[in-house]
Amino acid sequence: MTLPQPLLKLDQLRRQRAGRPAVERLSLTLDKGQILGLLGVNGAGKSTTLSMIAGALRPDSGSIQLNGEDFLEHPELARLIGWLPERAPLWPELTVHEHLVTHGRLHGLRGAALKPACDAIVQRLELTPLLRRLAGVLSQGQRQRLGLACALLHRPALLVLDEPANALDPVQVASLRKVIREEAATGTAVILSTHLLAEVTAVCDRVAILHEGGLRHDAAVTDVDHKALERTFFDIAMNDGRNQAA
Amino acid sequence: MSSMFAVTRLELRRLFVRPLAWVLAALTLAQLAWRFVLLLGNFLDNQIKLAALPGGPGYTDLVGVPLLSSTLTVGILPFGLTELALLVVPLLTMSSLAGDRVNGTLPLLYASGLAPSKIVLGKYLAVLLWLMLWLVLTVAMPLSLAHGTHLDWGKFAAATLGLLLTLATLGAIGIACSAFASLPAIAATAALTLGLALFTVNLAAQKAGVDNGLINELALSTHLEALLRGLVSSSDVIWFLLVIAVALTLATRRLAADKERD
Repeated sequence: MTLPQPLLKLDQLRRQRAGRPAVERLSLTLDKGQILGLLGVNGAGKSTTLSMIAGALRPDSGSIQLNGEDFLEHPELARLIGWLPERAPLWPELTVHEHLVTHGRLHGLRGAALKPACDAIVQRLELTPLLRRLAGVLSQGQRQRLGLACALLHRPALLVLDEPANALDPVQVASLRKVIREEAATGTAVILSTHLLAEVTAVCDRVAILHEGGLRHDAAVTDVDHKALERTFFDIAMNDGRNQAA
Repeated sequence: MSSMFAVTRLELRRLFVRPLAWVLAALTLAQLAWRFVLLLGNFLDNQIKLAALPGGPGYTDLVGVPLLSSTLTVGILPFGLTELALLVVPLLTMSSLAGDRVNGTLPLLYASGLAPSKIVLGKYLAVLLWLMLWLVLTVAMPLSLAHGTHLDWGKFAAATLGLLLTLATLGAIGIACSAFASLPAIAATAALTLGLALFTVNLAAQKAGVDNGLINELALSTHLEALLRGLVSSSDVIWFLLVIAVALTLATRRLAADKERD
């Protein structure tokens, strides 16, 4: 009997940024429907890792497999991924509706499939009052919601969220968590990068802690409570810092 | 292929909602219309005199072609479409890739799985469509009187082809500069400088006492002049296509390196 292959497999991923290693020999796998929380201090390599997974950045070495296929050899597999980068970059001259249409087209949605997909995501993320508004005048929270809508529009198999709760109010954070859980329930794998330990314990079923580009901890969230996760996180962040100083 | 057109539509939308493109179009077309009226007035004033000359210049030589470029006839006003394009095209292309870099939206295009060449071609196509619309509106001015005068269709078609190739070349240079620059203003300055240098390299060399075939071959004006005179030669067309190909290849390589290097 063969084991089902993971949706995402990172193998010995390495990437330098500004002359220093940002990600070092990172290996991990992710199954369908799983929610992985990626924790780490600033500069730990979270955003670099997510950019590589999303296809926006090429690793120096190592491999990324999506559904068993080499993502670096087949960039068209990007259509399986929905990516919300940190601070949700947008084209300021385009309206919310135009953003959705553009993202849909860029990810292969055409004609009859595009409009229902846009309508559904607008309804789901309550974007109707913002539809005609230019992205350049949106608040940071509204930008995050639009960025999330763009990432979800083409029904990706893997959702990559880089600090999605930034600038959201508590109500919006609660609805973000609901969306993440709903996506995972339909089989979408989710990677969620965050600074907030509470975010991980609230929605993730697995947590990976990155430090100085390397994977230092990878465990199911059910195995650890909030306090224990906090201890592990600070142990890694502080002790590694001390070791470096020594 | 369809995703490349998605980039073209995105870029066209961005061009048409930005006031800069409209302001540039309105101002330059107004200036060209004024130039057309002056050229026409000059032609009408001298029409009887010119009709007496065997093989003398006609409507095409004195109105149609000078509207497109003042390279052959400096004459009444210094700026034809070509000279305006040297300034307008860098302003139009400056934000196409450098703007995406500033907004942080370039990674969104990479993450859509599009090859850098398709991103560059998609953007280039949008700029080219805008420039073609600009050219069509300019060419419509002399064509509007074609039924009441004798237009040399062959010569005018050759001159229009020359302008089309010149605009396409300047557009490609603008896109390349935008790919390399970190800020749109730097891209515009670089494209303006390169465009002017390419246009006048032979004039500058002649002033410095150097006048050989190679320098003349390098200059855009040499190849445009032949087309403005009505001479369509494959070597001139190939020169334009080569410059376009080199500029777009450089832009593609720069985007590919961006993804590699961050």
